[in-house]
Amino acid sequence: MMAGVGGGNDFQWCFSQVKGATDEDVAEADIISTVEFNYSGELLATGDKGGRVVIFQREQESKNRPLSRGEYNVYSTFQSHEPEFDYLKSLEIEEKINKIRWLPQQNAAHFLLSTNDKTIKLWKISERDKRAEGYNLKDEDGRLRDPFRITSLRVPVLMPMDLMVEASPRRIFANAHTYHINSISVNSDYETYLSADDLRINLWHLEITDRSFNIVDIKPANMEELTEVITAAECHPHQCNVFVYSSSKGTIRLCDMRAGALCDRHSKFFEEPEDPSSRSFFSEIISSISDVKFSHSGRYMMTRDYLSVKVWDLNMENRPVETYQVHEYLRSKLCSLYENDCIFDKFECCWNGSDSAIMTGSYNNFFRMFDRNTRRDITLEASRENSKPRAMLKPRKVCTGGKRKKDEISVDSLDFNKKILHTAWHPKENVIAVAATNNLYIFQDKLN
Amino acid sequence: MVAKGQKRKLLEGRGGAWESQLQSVLDISMEKFHRDQALVEPSLLRSVLISNTLRQVQSEVRAQVESLSSVKMPSKPQTHSGLEPDFPSGSPSSTEHNAPLFSLNDENSNTEEDVMAWTSEEDFSLSSAISVILKDLDTVIDAGQGPPRAPLGSVENLTGDARHTQYPPSSSRTERASNVVPSVKSEAACLGCPQDVVLEKLLLDIDTSVFEPEVNLLQGFSVTADDLVKYLPSLSKSPSASSSSSSSSHGQATWEIQEIEHVMDILMRTYPQS
Repeated sequence: MMAGVGGGNDFQWCFSQVKGATDEDVAEADIISTVEFNYSGELLATGDKGGRVVIFQREQESKNRPLSRGEYNVYSTFQSHEPEFDYLKSLEIEEKINKIRWLPQQNAAHFLLSTNDKTIKLWKISERDKRAEGYNLKDEDGRLRDPFRITSLRVPVLMPMDLMVEASPRRIFANAHTYHINSISVNSDYETYLSADDLRINLWHLEITDRSFNIVDIKPANMEELTEVITAAECHPHQCNVFVYSSSKGTIRLCDMRAGALCDRHSKFFEEPEDPSSRSFFSEIISSISDVKFSHSGRYMMTRDYLSVKVWDLNMENRPVETYQVHEYLRSKLCSLYENDCIFDKFECCWNGSDSAIMTGSYNNFFRMFDRNTRRDITLEASRENSKPRAMLKPRKVCTGGKRKKDEISVDSLDFNKKILHTAWHPKENVIAVAATNNLYIFQDKLN
Repeated sequence: MVAKGQKRKLLEGRGGAWESQLQSVLDISMEKFHRDQALVEPSLLRSVLISNTLRQVQSEVRAQVESLSSVKMPSKPQTHSGLEPDFPSGSPSSTEHNAPLFSLNDENSNTEEDVMAWTSEEDFSLSSAISVILKDLDTVIDAGQGPPRAPLGSVENLTGDARHTQYPPSSSRTERASNVVPSVKSEAACLGCPQDVVLEKLLLDIDTSVFEPEVNLLQGFSVTADDLVKYLPSLSKSPSASSSSSSSSHGQATWEIQEIEHVMDILMRTYPQS
């Protein structure tokens, strides 16, 4: 059951579950904006545009229900962020959850960080399956008893109750970002985390909410000179002093916090030289990095730009070691995609548990997987039509020109409103979660 | 005719496709830009990407205009501070197309200077438009408030009311700019002036019209009574005049870009080399 042992182990992805409404009309608030497994993979969290967080828990496989095969069911739902109004600037602050990051589990409770554009919150999710009964001063329904009527004393006892999962906000980290937060990342010391907006990155201590350290600031003195913004940031998985941040110009900077309090000078600068033959008006826009993720090993990092995914060796700054084309057939359509704003879509990417495969989304509810060892790639679709339990997903293909074969879809028939921006891979097993607008699809490898 | 051959080579070398894409990118970018300005809080990433694209278009247009003028070019009269063009030099180099399109010979050095001055002023106003726009993104005060400052009317309507009418989005500016075409053509045809004199007149005309709002831009507060009425609500909310000047600059910048494009088209078509 090793997750993705490279080599000849081709995945056979099967439909497992789909969560969410089936209506054609999609409520804006239900659009999923982030997906994240926790460290064990037992919990799967989603955030949506309405500011809600839904956590799914994997059922323990048991003899009683052998067919459930580790299904994910709703564990907890809560409203994480509400819309706010900034009176000073006359701006509404969206409640959309931009990112969720789990903390490693240290006791019975689970903790996660969720953020909207301006405020990060630490939530504690805990279970309650007992309650005390037999209070002296209050009735079972909570009403206070008249003290003069009490004739005897008793000791309350704990009685089992139906499992209740409670989510409570333990910390609120607010007022530290002038611009929109695009990333949060928990540090490997499990004490600090970073948050990044368009121009600044702050370092927080999980216990301290009234201040944070600013560690990167790229705001120019004169805003007229602004030509580049921060698009994503992440802490190194093992080295708690190292983090990276990506930019809208396709560059990645690796910083070492030991070098100075303000990490404006990078330790490493990753940029691939531009191919002059493919230069166009849109070269810069499509080079803008929408996501950056370290491999689990900490030796590599992966970046996603509009048309490709690149794997970088941290020891080599001048070019990526691997480049995978996600949907190269869109290169000739960039002008239209600029016009309809699709060129600004921010796709995420993720590694599998063993770093042997990577996954990212595309349009038409397609998502792509690349095996780094065999160099094979596959395109799959998240759709209700392929939703029979344990039905194997058929590979999809986009026809780029000439005669369209059966089962292929032509570029012009792609639905650009159906975009898969958020995907997640179970940290240990071949289970993936794919967010398609307001639906969450869970697929499992047949061999799982 | 030599000139026609050269003209064709230029167009083929660059491609009509490239030109139409330049125009599309310009139109789309300006439209997005205006739409974003109308939002209370435009996305900074989006704004930066769109303004960088506009800068790239600006450099392409500049390269195109430079390739139209003669080989002996005066040094750049001014560089706009704070906005050193940072874009990579990927645009088709003007050295590919050395031959000027229309005759700007030595005897027409006056016109040549006009072209350069005109180009620089266009650069300046576009650059300043972009920089004001970016500055506004940073201000606490609502950047998008207030109607965009009305761009100038077409060349034949330089006075009064046309100047201060509120213009709907860029498509109508295109129409308005294209109104320039018949007037210029008829001017050339009917008057039967020697080409360089007509050209000079045309450029001087545009010079004048381009110049005036720049004065407004620089002074900030020099608006007419009509404008003042429109802007009073926004001025009372925001202490700075940046909203009015920014709206004026980008509204005017749009007109300028459109005007330049169309005038370039006219020049290419109407004044073949002798």
